[in-house]
Amino acid sequence: MLGFSGRYPKRSAAASEAALGGGSGVRGGSAAVPQIGPIKALFSKTLNPVIALMIIAVADGFLFIIVGAWTVGGGETAMTGFLGKAIFGNAILHRFPYWGKVFPLDPLYWKIYISFGMLFGAFVGALLSGEFYLRLPRHLGEWTMITIGGLLMGIGIRLAFICNISTFFAVTTEMNLAGYLAVSGILAGAWVGTQIYKKALGV
Amino acid sequence: MSPVADVIAAFMFGTLVGILVQRSRFCNVAALRDAMLFRSYRSTKALLVGMMIMTFLFTLGETFGIGHPVQFDSGLNTVIGLFLFGIGMVMAGACTVGTWVRVGEGNIGALWALIFTFVGMFAFSMLYSVIHWPPAYGLMDHKVHLRSLQFGFANARTLQDETGIPAVVFGLIQVGVLALFYRAILRREARQKAAATGGSAPVGEEGGCH
Repeated sequence: MLGFSGRYPKRSAAASEAALGGGSGVRGGSAAVPQIGPIKALFSKTLNPVIALMIIAVADGFLFIIVGAWTVGGGETAMTGFLGKAIFGNAILHRFPYWGKVFPLDPLYWKIYISFGMLFGAFVGALLSGEFYLRLPRHLGEWTMITIGGLLMGIGIRLAFICNISTFFAVTTEMNLAGYLAVSGILAGAWVGTQIYKKALGV
Repeated sequence: MSPVADVIAAFMFGTLVGILVQRSRFCNVAALRDAMLFRSYRSTKALLVGMMIMTFLFTLGETFGIGHPVQFDSGLNTVIGLFLFGIGMVMAGACTVGTWVRVGEGNIGALWALIFTFVGMFAFSMLYSVIHWPPAYGLMDHKVHLRSLQFGFANARTLQDETGIPAVVFGLIQVGVLALFYRAILRREARQKAAATGGSAPVGEEGGCH
C-alpha cells in the first residue's frame, strides 16, 4: 500500500503505515531548495486540509462555470485510449467498439489536463518543500495490494462513468441521483476494503 | 469557450489542486478508511467542508442555468462501479487524485497503481464488447429503463423544474445535512480529546495516506 512512514516526523506513530513499510526509498538531492518569503511559509509546514478544500471548492465553482466540475476518471480513460492506440495501433484499438461508441478519443479533452495539472502542481509543491524523493514499496504484499487496487479502480470508474472525485465533488454536490447511488457504493466498498486492509495489517 | 481555453483552465485548476493536496496531505482514502478504522477525521472534515461549499455554488449555478452540470444517467452500474472502486482505493491506499499527486512526489508505487488503473480501464473496454453494458453515454435518454438497470436522470435543476422551488433551496438543505455530519465529528473529537486528557484513551491518530 502507499504508506509513507518515516517521512513526516511530526506524525504520531501510525502503525498502519509503518506495518506496510511504505515510504522507503532513495532520497534524492532535491531537499535543499532555497525558499523565500511567503513561499517559504506555504512550503515549510503542512496546510490544514479544510483550508485547502475551501480554496479548491471555490476554484471548482469557476471551473464549473467554464467547463464542468472537478473530475479525474474521464481524463484517465482518455489517456488509456491514447496509450492503447500507441501500443496496439489504431486498427486493433477500434476492434473494441468501446473506443468509438462509448468513449471517442479527443486530445483536447479538458479532463486530461486536470490530471497533468495535478501531477505538475504536486511536483512543484514537493520540490519547494523538499519532499520530492523516489519511494518504492518494499514488500511483495504491498505491490500486490496496489496492483489489485489499481485494477479495481480502473474497472470501477468505467463501469460507473465516475470516479471518487466526481462522486463526492461533482455529482453529489449537483444533487444528481447518481451521486447518492455512488456514495452508497463507495462507502460499502471502502468498508470492505478497510476489512481487507485490517487483515493485511493484523490490526 | 474554445477547447484550448477549457484545457488551459483545466490545467490551471489541476495545478492548484496538486499544490494544495500535496501541501495539506488531504486524502480521500483516509477520509473514509481512517474514519472507519481509527476514528480519525482529519481528511473527512475537509471532504465535508469542500462538499458543503460546492453544493451551495453548484446548486446556485443550477438555479440560474449557469455552469455545466454532469448529464449522464444513473443506474445499477453506478453503485457496483463505485463499490469496486471503494475496495480498490483502500487496497491501493490512494484514489485518483492521490495517485497523481504522489507520482508528482516521486512515489513509484503510486505510478504502479496508476498504470494498473489504466490496465483495468482497458480490460473493461474489452469486456464491453461482450456485455454492452452500461449503455453508452450518447444513448442515455434520461429515462428509467429497468431492463438495462438504468434509473434515469435527476438533479437539483430537474427538482426545480418539477416543483418550482429554486435548486439552491435543495442545495441549502443538503448543506445543512452535511453540516450535521461535521458537527457530529467535532463532538466526537471533543470527547476523544477529553478522554485523552483524562488519561484513559488515546486520541485518534492523525491519519492520512500521506
